[in-house]
Amino acid sequence: MLSGMLRNTLLIAKREYIERIKSRVFRITTLLVPLGMGGLAVLGSFSGRKMEGVQYLAIVSSNHELAEEVKAALMEGEMPPKGVEVYAPASEADLAQLKSEVAEHQIGGYLTLETVAGEARPKVTWVSGSSINFVSKAQMEAAVSSALIREQLAAKGVPDSQMNQLMQDTKLKTMQVKNGGVVSSDSEKSFLGAYILIIVLYASVLIYGINIARSVVEEKTSRIFEVLLSTTSADSLMLGKLLGVGATGLTQMGIWAALLVFYAGSALAAGQGIHGLASLGITKAELGYFGIFFLLGFFLYSGLAAALGSSVSGETEVQQFSFILISPLVVSVVLLPFVLGNPNSTTAVVLSLLPPFTPIIMYMRICSQMPPLWQIALSIALLAGSVWGMVWLAARIYRVGVLMYGKRATLPEMLRWLRYS
Amino acid sequence: MEILVELDKVSKSYEEKAAVRDLSLKIEAGSMFGLLGPNGAGKTSTIRMMIGITRPDAGKVSLFGKPFGDGALRRVGYLPEERGLYKRMKVIDQLVFLAELRGLGALEAKRRATQWCERLQMADAMDKKTEELSKGMQQKIQFISTLLHDPELIIMDEPFSGLDPVNAVLLQDTLLELKKQGNAVLFSTHRMDQVEKLCDQICLIDRGAAVLAGGMREVKSRYERNRVIIQFEGDDGFLQHAAIAESKSYAGHAEIKLKPHADAQDLLRTAAATATITRFELVEPSLEEIFIETVGGRSDA
Repeated sequence: MLSGMLRNTLLIAKREYIERIKSRVFRITTLLVPLGMGGLAVLGSFSGRKMEGVQYLAIVSSNHELAEEVKAALMEGEMPPKGVEVYAPASEADLAQLKSEVAEHQIGGYLTLETVAGEARPKVTWVSGSSINFVSKAQMEAAVSSALIREQLAAKGVPDSQMNQLMQDTKLKTMQVKNGGVVSSDSEKSFLGAYILIIVLYASVLIYGINIARSVVEEKTSRIFEVLLSTTSADSLMLGKLLGVGATGLTQMGIWAALLVFYAGSALAAGQGIHGLASLGITKAELGYFGIFFLLGFFLYSGLAAALGSSVSGETEVQQFSFILISPLVVSVVLLPFVLGNPNSTTAVVLSLLPPFTPIIMYMRICSQMPPLWQIALSIALLAGSVWGMVWLAARIYRVGVLMYGKRATLPEMLRWLRYS
Repeated sequence: MEILVELDKVSKSYEEKAAVRDLSLKIEAGSMFGLLGPNGAGKTSTIRMMIGITRPDAGKVSLFGKPFGDGALRRVGYLPEERGLYKRMKVIDQLVFLAELRGLGALEAKRRATQWCERLQMADAMDKKTEELSKGMQQKIQFISTLLHDPELIIMDEPFSGLDPVNAVLLQDTLLELKKQGNAVLFSTHRMDQVEKLCDQICLIDRGAAVLAGGMREVKSRYERNRVIIQFEGDDGFLQHAAIAESKSYAGHAEIKLKPHADAQDLLRTAAATATITRFELVEPSLEEIFIETVGGRSDA
């Protein structure tokens, strides 16, 4: 047999959950967010493919060997052009011809290498019909540099085989100390989890925080809360509301997560170098912490939203405080680069223990350099405690709201009323 | 009779304003209790303390013979003055939810909700969304939600306001039936005609304090039968009789207020001497007159 308060809490949670799942907002956001994300992913892969070097070009030089070296370097580069013609030496007629081909977009442009007497390096000019993009610029600079080095080495009598070894690119392998062991890492991927947490927390606080505040305001303006309060305690009401909305959020996240797993294993993701969830750089332990910090953070912010909703008198005022609601999240994001750079500094430690910042900052610390376990435990305890405190406060304000009509209560008024109820 | 609610010298103030002062009252099982008073007299504040929405600053409230406790709320049905329902919920879902909150199982709640909707002639509204219904219909839904868990104590703040006469009578009859079954009903209203018809006990409060309380008969008997209605043919010269304090005369119909302790029979004799009397009635003052006299007299002071 469930005790009365627990039973009522669950009843309220159930109602909140069912009413929300049935609502149009739920269906729309559940569909639109992945569609938007998917759209971004497609757009990203599309614009990534657009980043390419010059397709057709010509090389003009008085030094035939150098021109051929540059051509060879270009063809062996990361983004080889489709066609390179060499004019060495070039006549005035050749140059006139090239200029008209550039003008008519038949070639992307031409590279002139003018050897200057007494100088080791030639003067290099790129002539094209449009301003150069940074990919093409890097492509050409690298080709010319490598050709020059090869020429110098050849002049010093270095054999071809040795030259190729010398000219190889350096590959940097990155490793990371994580959970006591050294594992290979990808500096971008290891924070992907944290960035996902930020986005997910941000979105759900905005969607569900505002949603919870609205539902509190609705109960107040429709005055149904007087009936509810004559039936059950304000604590059950608030807790039930939070649990119901939390369950709705989890359902939605679940749907999104399923879509993400599906995406990670899909051909589209494979095209972007992602094969399964592991290649997103998320470990199982991190996934567990993600769950804990997301849930607690979500409840804390929902509680804050409920308290704010209880203190206003009308729907329109809800909009005004949505900024108050997300500002700690914004501050966390602003502080993120600092925490990343100094994950174990006193400031980072203190910030990660302050409940409003804990979800993002502490999770980021876990992702970058595992903090001592006691700090994690303490931050979770503090966060859980402040969730409880927030629910308690929201319940008090909600109860006092019975006495409020029309106008918004000032803080001192609310404090006085807290005593009356 | 079992006493369901007892307020013992209860006081409550908000800010500087005293909402309820030193108020004592008892409500017995099987009775209909009228809590009367002008707007802002403290009726709603009193009710809220009864069911623990607010706590009194001083004095004692007991529900079902014990100090207030959460379990007691399941035996109370409360209809607040300002009605509220979840607008977007279906009527039947809403009724089931509210009944479950008061301890009923889902199946039983649904069975009773259906029964009540049929009883109050709104079975076809059960599957509609609340916001699609008229105000009167919504009020009936809320009325039902107050009664689904068969509460021993039914508290209704202005239950009939905004209802058409047919529905008002429907709800009145329902309440009378519940009273007969032994439930106690507390009404708060300023509609005196309803109270006069329905209530056994009344408490009139003004500016937070009880100014008149007791059984309806007993309260009324404290006031003299000093209203006279005469229907006559002939001379109306008897209206100058010494016993008359004031009178209104229409064609063949006079409404008279007598002076204190005046002899009505002497007036009848005088009138009969000059006119043909077809009706002579000595009427007790209506509750409305008592109300205006008590409250109006005080506020003039």
